[in-house]
Amino acid sequence: MVQTTKRTALTATSLSAALVLAACGGDNGENGEADAGQAETGGEFSTYLCEPQSLTPGMSTEVCGAGVLEQLFTGLTEMDYEANEPVAGVAESWESEDNITWTFELGEDWTFHNGEELTAQTFVDTFNWTVDPDNAQANAEYYDFIAGYSDVVEGEADELEGVSAVDDYTLEIVLEEPFGQLPALLSLVGFSPLPEAAYDDMDAFESAPVGNGRYEMDGEWEHDVQIVVNRFEEWSGEQPGAADRIEFRIYNDVSTAYQDVQAGNLDLLYNAPPENIPMMEDDFGDNQGSFETGTLTFLGIPTYQDDYADVEIRQALSMAVDRQEIIDNIFDGALTAAGSFLPPVLPEGREDACEYCEFDPERAASLYEEAGGASELTVYFNSGAGHDAWVEAVSNQWRENLPIDDVSFQSLEFAQYLDLLEEGEIEGPYRLGWTLSYPSAQESLEPMYSSTASRNYTGFASDEFDERIAQANAADADDAVEAYQHAEDILLEELPVIPMWFERQDVVWSENIDNVHITPRGLPQVERVEVQN
Amino acid sequence: MTGYIIRRLLQFIPVVIAATLIVYAMVFLMPGDPIRALAGDRPMSPQVQEALREQYNLNDPFLVQYAKYMWGVFTQADFGTTFQGRPVLDMIQQGLPITLTLAAVAFCFQAVIGIIAGILAAVFRDSFIDRLIQVSLVIVVALPTLAIAFLLQLTFGLNLGWFPIAGNREGMVSYILPGIVLAAVSTGIVARMLRSELIEALQSDYVRTATAKGMKRSRVVTRHALRNSLIPVVTFLGADLATMMGGAIVVESVFNLPGLGGQVFRSIQAQENTVVVGIVTLFVLFYVVINLLVDLLYAVLDPRIRYD
Repeated sequence: MVQTTKRTALTATSLSAALVLAACGGDNGENGEADAGQAETGGEFSTYLCEPQSLTPGMSTEVCGAGVLEQLFTGLTEMDYEANEPVAGVAESWESEDNITWTFELGEDWTFHNGEELTAQTFVDTFNWTVDPDNAQANAEYYDFIAGYSDVVEGEADELEGVSAVDDYTLEIVLEEPFGQLPALLSLVGFSPLPEAAYDDMDAFESAPVGNGRYEMDGEWEHDVQIVVNRFEEWSGEQPGAADRIEFRIYNDVSTAYQDVQAGNLDLLYNAPPENIPMMEDDFGDNQGSFETGTLTFLGIPTYQDDYADVEIRQALSMAVDRQEIIDNIFDGALTAAGSFLPPVLPEGREDACEYCEFDPERAASLYEEAGGASELTVYFNSGAGHDAWVEAVSNQWRENLPIDDVSFQSLEFAQYLDLLEEGEIEGPYRLGWTLSYPSAQESLEPMYSSTASRNYTGFASDEFDERIAQANAADADDAVEAYQHAEDILLEELPVIPMWFERQDVVWSENIDNVHITPRGLPQVERVEVQN
Repeated sequence: MTGYIIRRLLQFIPVVIAATLIVYAMVFLMPGDPIRALAGDRPMSPQVQEALREQYNLNDPFLVQYAKYMWGVFTQADFGTTFQGRPVLDMIQQGLPITLTLAAVAFCFQAVIGIIAGILAAVFRDSFIDRLIQVSLVIVVALPTLAIAFLLQLTFGLNLGWFPIAGNREGMVSYILPGIVLAAVSTGIVARMLRSELIEALQSDYVRTATAKGMKRSRVVTRHALRNSLIPVVTFLGADLATMMGGAIVVESVFNLPGLGGQVFRSIQAQENTVVVGIVTLFVLFYVVINLLVDLLYAVLDPRIRYD
C-alpha cells in the first residue's frame, strides 16, 4: 500500500514533489525515482521491433520477443540497469541465509491485466508448467538450478520439488547449489508469471498475452505489422511506464526503419544499420547515440585439437590481432575492442584486464614459433551474417604477423554450424558471440567456459575455474564482484576463446521523444522513454 | 472450349503434387537442424528439442513427413503451423491480399505505361519522343531494383514526403512506390517489345490495305496493328505476373510490406518447412492459373486460334 501512495504522489505533483523526495534522501528507491525525472509522462510513441519468434515468456529466447515481453510482464525481480542490481518486482523483498533456500515476500496488490490476482501459487504453477517437457518451452533450461529440475525433465516427478508457496504471498525457492545471483536471474522474461487464462487457451494467449507488466496489449499481435501496448494503470511497482502508449512497429529491414525515423514516421530505432552509422550525427544531431552492450564477439579455439592445446599458441593468436584497426576499417569504429571477458558495462568488467589482447606482433610471432604453431589453419564462421570481412581481416593479420602460410575458410549456415560445434569437429578458430540475457558476471562466464556448460564448445575444462565460479556463485553480493574477477583471471591467462570486441548499439530517435536508455543486452528501456510536449 | 479448360484444370493435380513434393524435399534436404536454428546461440535442453521434433514429425522419414502433411491438407485443410504454433493458413490469409494488391498495382503500371510508351515510340518512330522513351527505359532496366527502391524512398518518401516510405498503414497510397519498383524492369521490356512488334506490324500488307481503304490512322493502329502485336506482350505480361511473386521478396522487404514474399524468405532462413511448402505451392498454383488465362486470351486476340 505504501508504494502505491508514493507513486500517485509522484506522478500527480511532478517536479516539485520529486525534488522534495530527493532532498529527503536516505532510501535508495526514492532516489532512483527522483533521478529518473518523472516530469514528462503521457503521450505515445512508436519504436522499432523485429518480428518476435514467440510472445509466450517460456518460449521467447530472442531480443525481438523480449523487448515486448519485458513490458507486458513483471517477474519476481527487475533489473536496475543504472546500479546493475536486482530490485523489487512482484517480490518486495527476499532473503537467504545460505544462498540455497530463498524466501521471496510478494507484494499483495499485484494483478494481471485481466484482473486475476497474483499470489505465490501463480509462480509455483508457472514454473512447473514451463519446466514440464510436454510443454516444450525453450527457456526450461534456465530452471536447471532449482532442486528437483532433473526429476521433472526426466518424467520422474510432475512438479519442481524446490518451488513452494509458504503462504499466499511468500514463495520459497530451494536450489541444487548455492547461487547468489538468483534475484538477477529471476528478472528474465522466462520467469514471468502466467495467468490462469493462459493455460486455458495457449494459442489465444500467444497472440495477445495477458501479463502483469507496466503495459498491456491493445488488441492482438499483428504479425509483421505491429504490437500496440497501453500503460497498465493498475501496475503495482515503483516506476510505472512514462508514456501512455507504445507502438512496436515491426520492420523487416533496419535500413527502411532508419529512413522512417528520418521522415518522422518512427520515433526510435535501437540498432541503426552499419552503413548509416557514419551519417548518424549529420542526420540526427543530438538525437542519436552509441551505447555499449555486454555482447561479446569472439573467436573460439578448439582446445581439444593438438594444434591448439598449447596455451602459448592461443596467446600468440590473440596478440597478433590488431582489433582497433579492424574495428576502424571494417566497422567504422562502431565497436569497442575487447580487453576482458567480463564486459565493461558490468561493475565486474575491467577494461584492459587482458594482457594478451594487446596488439604485439613481435611477441606473438616469437611465442608462436617457440610453441611450434601450425603453418596452416582453418577458420570457421556462419555464413550470411556479415562475418566474412572481419574474419578475413583477422586471418590476414595472422598471416602477416605469425609464421602462418595459409588460412582457409569454412562458412556454414547457422544451424549446420552449431551442429558442427556441438559435435566437436571444429579444426580451427570459430566465430561466435554471446549476448547477456541478464546483466550478470555469472551469465557472461559460467554458461560459456565452465567444463559442464552445454555452450562450451572449446573443450576448455579447468577444475580451478569451475571451483572459482562455484565460490563466486555462493558469495554474498558484496564479495561476488571480486570473486567473479578471480574466475575471469584464469580465462585471461588460458584464453579458451580470443575476445574480439563488445558490440555497441547505435540508436537514433525523433524529436518527439527523450530519455533513451539501452540495457547491456542492447534493448531500449522503452518504459523510461519520455514523450515531448 | 469447356473441354479444353477442364483438361487444363485436371493437369493442375500432378503439377501441385510434384511441386509440393519437390519443395518439401528441398527444404528437408537443407543442411542443419531447424530446431537448433530456432534456439539460436543458446541451445535448448535435449528434452525440449525432442518434444518439439515429436510435435512437428521431424523424427519421421522424409516420405512419412510429406504424407502426413498432405493428409492434413486434403482431409482437414490443415496447412500446418510454424514452430511457434502459428497456423500457416493464417499467415497466407494475412499476406496474400497484400502481395496480390502489390502485384495488381505493379501490373497496372507495367501494362498501362509499358503499352502507352510502346505505342508512342512505334507510331512516332525515330522522333524525339521515341528516343526519350527508349533512353529512359534503358536506364530503368539497367538500374538494379534495390537502387530504384532506395532512390524512390529517398526522393518521394523522405525528401518530398508525397508517399509513405514503408508499411501499408496508409492504404493504397503505400503501394504506389513499391508497385513502381516491382514494375520498373518489366515496363521497359514491355515497351521495347511492343515497339518492335508494332513497327513490324505497321509495315505489313494488311495495315497498308487498311490505310489504303481510307481508315483513320488511330483505328488502323489500335484495331489492326496493335491487336496482333499484343500477343507476345500478353504472354510476357502473364508470365511476368507470375514471376512477380519472386520480385515481391525484395520489394516487400525494402518497403516493409507484410506480404507473402517476405514471409517465404524468412521461412526459408528458419527452415520452416510447412510455411515454405504452403506459400510456394500457392505461387505455383498462381503461375499455372495465369498461364491458363494467358492461353485463353490468345483466342480473344487472335481469332485464328481455337481451343477444342
